[in-house]
Amino acid sequence: MSEKGHAQSGVRYGMVIDLDKCTGCGACSVACQAENNISFRPDESMKLRSITWMEIYPMNNGKDYPDYRFSYLPRPCMHCDSDHHSPCTFVCPVNATTRDENNGLVTHIYPRCIGCRYCMVACPYHARDFNWWDPTWPKQMESMLSPEVSTRMRGVVEKCTFCHHRLLKARSKAYVDGADPNKVTYTPACADACPTRAISFGNLMDASSEVGKLSKDPRAFRILEKLGTKPKVYYLSRHDWIKNLADNAIK
Amino acid sequence: MKFGRRAFLQIAAGAVGGTLLTPLPWKLADDSAIWSQNWSWRPSPERGEVTKAPAICTFCEGGCGLQARLVNGNRAILLEGNPANPVNEGGICPLGAAGLQFLYAPYRITQPLKQTKRRGDPSGLQPISWEEAQSELGKKLSTIRSDGKAHTVACITAARQSSMDDLLVQFFAAYGSPNLFKMPSQTDGMKTAAFLTTGSSGPFAFDLENAAYILSFGANLLDGGTAPNRAFAALRRLNKTPGQARIVQVESRCSITASKAGQWVPVNPGTEAALALGIAHLMVTGGAFDSEFVNANVFGFDDWTDAAGKKRQGFKSFITSNAFAPDETAKKTGLDAAKIRDLAKEFASQAKAVAVWGIGQPDNPNNTYHDLAFVALNALKGNLKADGLLSIAPDLPLADLPPGQKDIFAERAVEQKRLDLTKSKCPCPQNGLYGFFDALVSGPQYPIQVLMVHEANPAHSLPETKLVQSALDKVGTLVCFSSFMDETAAQADLILPNHTSLERYDDAKGIPGAPYGYYALGAPILKPLLKTKHTGEVVLALARDMAGSVAASLPWKTYEEYLKFRVDGLAKAQKGAVADKSGVVLATLKAGESPKPNFTDGADLWKKLKAGACWYDAPAGASFTKTASGKFELAVQAVQGKGAAPAEDQMFLPHFRPLMPSGKEAELPLLLVSYATPFIASGYLANPPFMNKLVPDYMLNGQDVFVDINPETAKTLGFARGDLVTLKTSQAETAVRINISPAARPGVVYIPRGLGHKAYDEYIQNKGVNANSLMEVQLDPISGNGTVWATRAQLRRA
Amino acid sequence: MDRALIPDGLKRCPLPVFALWTLILVGVIGWGVMAGAMVLVKALNLTGLNDYFGFGAYITADLAIIALGAGAFFSGFLYYGLSRFFPALKELGKIINLAVVVGFVCYTGALAVLLLEIGQPLRGWFGYWHANVHSMLTEVIFCITCYAIVLVIEYIPLILENRKISEVKSLRVLGHSMHDVMAIFALTGTFLSFFHQGSLGGVAGVLFARPFAFREGLFIWPWTFFLFILSAIASGPAFTALICRSLEKVSGKKLVDRSVYDLIGKIEGGLLGAYMILKIADTAYWAFGLAPRFGFKLGDFYWGPYGIWLLIAEIGICGVLPALILLSPAGRRSNFLLFGAFLLDIIGVSINRFVMTIQAIAAPVMPFDSWQIYVPTVYEWAPILAMLAYCILVISLSYRYLPLFPREKELNRT
Repeated sequence: MSEKGHAQSGVRYGMVIDLDKCTGCGACSVACQAENNISFRPDESMKLRSITWMEIYPMNNGKDYPDYRFSYLPRPCMHCDSDHHSPCTFVCPVNATTRDENNGLVTHIYPRCIGCRYCMVACPYHARDFNWWDPTWPKQMESMLSPEVSTRMRGVVEKCTFCHHRLLKARSKAYVDGADPNKVTYTPACADACPTRAISFGNLMDASSEVGKLSKDPRAFRILEKLGTKPKVYYLSRHDWIKNLADNAIK
Repeated sequence: MKFGRRAFLQIAAGAVGGTLLTPLPWKLADDSAIWSQNWSWRPSPERGEVTKAPAICTFCEGGCGLQARLVNGNRAILLEGNPANPVNEGGICPLGAAGLQFLYAPYRITQPLKQTKRRGDPSGLQPISWEEAQSELGKKLSTIRSDGKAHTVACITAARQSSMDDLLVQFFAAYGSPNLFKMPSQTDGMKTAAFLTTGSSGPFAFDLENAAYILSFGANLLDGGTAPNRAFAALRRLNKTPGQARIVQVESRCSITASKAGQWVPVNPGTEAALALGIAHLMVTGGAFDSEFVNANVFGFDDWTDAAGKKRQGFKSFITSNAFAPDETAKKTGLDAAKIRDLAKEFASQAKAVAVWGIGQPDNPNNTYHDLAFVALNALKGNLKADGLLSIAPDLPLADLPPGQKDIFAERAVEQKRLDLTKSKCPCPQNGLYGFFDALVSGPQYPIQVLMVHEANPAHSLPETKLVQSALDKVGTLVCFSSFMDETAAQADLILPNHTSLERYDDAKGIPGAPYGYYALGAPILKPLLKTKHTGEVVLALARDMAGSVAASLPWKTYEEYLKFRVDGLAKAQKGAVADKSGVVLATLKAGESPKPNFTDGADLWKKLKAGACWYDAPAGASFTKTASGKFELAVQAVQGKGAAPAEDQMFLPHFRPLMPSGKEAELPLLLVSYATPFIASGYLANPPFMNKLVPDYMLNGQDVFVDINPETAKTLGFARGDLVTLKTSQAETAVRINISPAARPGVVYIPRGLGHKAYDEYIQNKGVNANSLMEVQLDPISGNGTVWATRAQLRRA
Repeated sequence: MDRALIPDGLKRCPLPVFALWTLILVGVIGWGVMAGAMVLVKALNLTGLNDYFGFGAYITADLAIIALGAGAFFSGFLYYGLSRFFPALKELGKIINLAVVVGFVCYTGALAVLLLEIGQPLRGWFGYWHANVHSMLTEVIFCITCYAIVLVIEYIPLILENRKISEVKSLRVLGHSMHDVMAIFALTGTFLSFFHQGSLGGVAGVLFARPFAFREGLFIWPWTFFLFILSAIASGPAFTALICRSLEKVSGKKLVDRSVYDLIGKIEGGLLGAYMILKIADTAYWAFGLAPRFGFKLGDFYWGPYGIWLLIAEIGICGVLPALILLSPAGRRSNFLLFGAFLLDIIGVSINRFVMTIQAIAAPVMPFDSWQIYVPTVYEWAPILAMLAYCILVISLSYRYLPLFPREKELNRT
């Protein structure tokens, strides 16, 4: 145990998203849906009930035409590294969502979840979505469900796992290959897909990794740092108005 | 013993108490929890070995390399970018990532269908066998042909970058009809401009990768148009050196491109070319242009004499007139004169500056004179030099198709004028699709007995929907080769469903707007799921059945064999190389310096291409040998076409054509502009369900589409956010909701494209309004292309 | 007809009138049960809840009803526990039976609604089986369950006092012996209640990424933990008193001495006053110390329907004002002021529960996020109203058939 309140390993998987590169096209979000068997409904315009692990938030500089500018901000789960607990893992009454202290991933066990939604209430990033309906697919599209990720049932909460199953695969491979499973690197589906290469992923504690370097970039910031949630998702931008929108600041 | 109420109660209480002491309730609780984890209606994906198969993306013309993940080789679960492909380098756009939803779409057509009742009646579409379907079409075509009416068979295809394009050209030439049209594209305009100025048949291409300064006149670089991944790659590069390279976006709306650009130059819609000419004015008057290139290689800069000996005004004296001075340009564009001066200075002083336009916009060819204005700006920059930033897309050394053989029927029919040319008199005809529709509707010189529609959905995805529909109604027999039950297929008389692109052989011949040579091959990733057939195979079979010269012109047994034949030509040319591993950088290719081939013969190249490696070659640069002057023509002599020389000198020169939308300003005081968004597929493909999640609720909510208007416009009209109002244009009237956004220019209304489907399934239909039904098309006087600018509109309370 | 069941020597309204009243209540309950069954079958999409509002009307109603049900444990604590030190509190014995019934219905009703609230009711028992000791909700689940059991135990002897039932000797003996040990249960219940009232406050207070709700505190308990306890005891007995007053009005009889109301008024006045002092201190520290640290100013937390009026209503009109009334002997003397103050008191505490549940999540935390408004649907109203109808039904039945008020006979001698 360290002063941080949890056992520290040398691995903290994290993400850096370069908003100067990101055009908000949504490829990350779609790739995530395909990779993680995310269910969809005929009408998805009720955004507050739409299951989207990687959600694209619009933000703008608040100015009028022609000084108006906007940007998009892809928001996965932040996998908060706050001391002792993440905001959501702290409150789950049934231990359905926990943080793996070996790698920092916040995971969610669907069959354990009772659907009390306390974790959703605890998360200021709205990273968690609830299954308000029985997830169903058009019959034909059941063929494109991945066997690597279980489908959810109604009444449980789900969220971005940083493609945890890809980590497990990489670890198994390392084990078979005789390499150290604790030193593997892998990429989640969103980072793989991003056509502008705005998303980097890796071990934040490895100073020589891409994310290790980028998270120390002068352009780097996190959302709601003042809350002490310690998100493991960093953003990069050279625009002050975008950075200013990352945290509440009394003017 | 009497069994009374008391005993009963005692036994019941005992039973309850006793049961609670057994493990039964706990077991039941546990079971119910397990049951809640394994509901039978919750799909459990079948497990199995996961493999990867290479593919190419044909959902747009961007030519990206893909790889599919398959379970047990028969179930595709994911599409990813192919990391070895130098265009997308492993990246993928949202449409590509959602691509499997087309393969597994519930609205796919499962087998050939024939309309047995009135056209458009869904209950009349009866399943027929492939033999019946093919013989029905074959017989019809043969009969028409032997009646000497081959020209009454027409075709609309969306194939441009695929070899299907050449196959259809070959078929129609041999069959004997000139009426083969393509779905409109920006490339049509690029081709006209390139032909007029350089004499080349290929469209212009832009070296975005090596530009340090991109002056974009409304090009859809980042807003989800065609070939987004290449533009993304350019952005990626620009970001690597912040401050050194930048995009300047000239556009009326704050699009994603405008927002991400280093600078956004907001202008009145349709006045981008006026700004280009204003910049040209300042460059010429200030002497800030590449005089070396202009003097040596440009015709028509100075005054010139035409073939008839008439003195004509050159570009220099034309553009230096006060009509193009900053103050005048400011009036037209709505910019400050000072801003125009700054822009001109910046563009003129940048070493690697290129003016781009129109790329990424799949369905909007430009006015020819406006394209010429943008070309002129590049000419003044010297961008058309051998290693310049503007070039002509290279002609790939694919094997040419054997010379078509024409029998008497073909020759007789080919003498017939293409239907659009029977009415319009444009001097340099391009893709006259709208002329074709106009002719059909207004009483054609000859009827169209059969119209074949290949992988296109003209009933929905073409502007002026009303005109298109009236034209389709005039067609004798409508034959569709769509994979999907789209709006056009729904009204077909005969449907011969195509495989989806992941189930068939397909190829990508180059990328629109890219200067380098590019060829990629896609092999099926799995066996066809349904009773569909490759349209290429159907065309080959039709030709075979017709025998004679038609069969001889299309000698291949299968589409695969046809593609092998084409690739063989590529191998024989011994040019270019294949990118079989990641790390190939196309940006570093220099014009005329081909990479060393890393393949031996046709079979070897085929094998490598099939394994997912693409072929690439150096840019071709630009040559002007085919123009009348043998130089790059700023005064485009070819505009004369085969007709008489235009009287006005201006007709040879790039100039500004103000927007003349129909309707009265008093009644329709606003302008309507439709825009593409990366969140909604427009064109042949309907939005896949995955992408529906991306569409924000201020763009579409339930069935209601939102139009963007400026807060000022909203204030004038007294509208609040979310108000349901009526949008009226010269074309149609419809209900929309108001989104107030400072991204919109005052006085202009913006509506997203790709919505308003009536066909397909519940995931697609009845969402919003089809922007195309509101937009007006204007015919370009030079090329006959249908251009779409802005349409006059009115917003009023519903 | 049911004369035999009615306590000896007491007058009750004719059976048909009571039957009609029961029928109405059963109708409302049936409607709510139907709605609840629909929610169980068709899932929570029938509600107005969404990913933004994970908690809504169900939880708010539960928190409020449990706070108001606190009259049971606190009256019990005063009567069974403290009255031996402060004999004046013996007065509460005249209303203690009603307090138990009110507590019983509030808690059992709340548990029933809680079953609807969770997405996977079949797994509700995971809360006991896979308990996360760090979660305030775990504390809530355990304490509420235990206390509900205590309330059942407290309610049983009351039932056994029914004329007909007490004819059975064994049951009568059981009832009497349970009465004898009731002090133990009452005190156990008090202990449990302090905890779960507090942990309900903790549910909001520990949300360290929700600046509206988060509070620092003592050990593992945020200040809201203590404020919830205090506000519950400052309003629960007032709620019991109001119900008693309503019973008097409906039955047209005097059920307790006026002095009981006065005593409750005095107690509540003191507690509410203390609560208000602490609540205002807490609010001030939150608004000017804690929130600014997270980058928020007070105005950022109030918008649209969730305006600052909520704060004014909660603390001013429904907090300080009733406290002042209840603390003044003149205020307590006037029936209008006394019961008006009780009403304001319970409204204020209900607003507090609403604010800590719904407003706490309506306020956006990310600067580029926006306010949302939560509108409950009929599938939320119906079970909540049914729960209230259930409460009224049980209280009505208890009043009709059980000797709830020891002084009723004397007070209504003609």
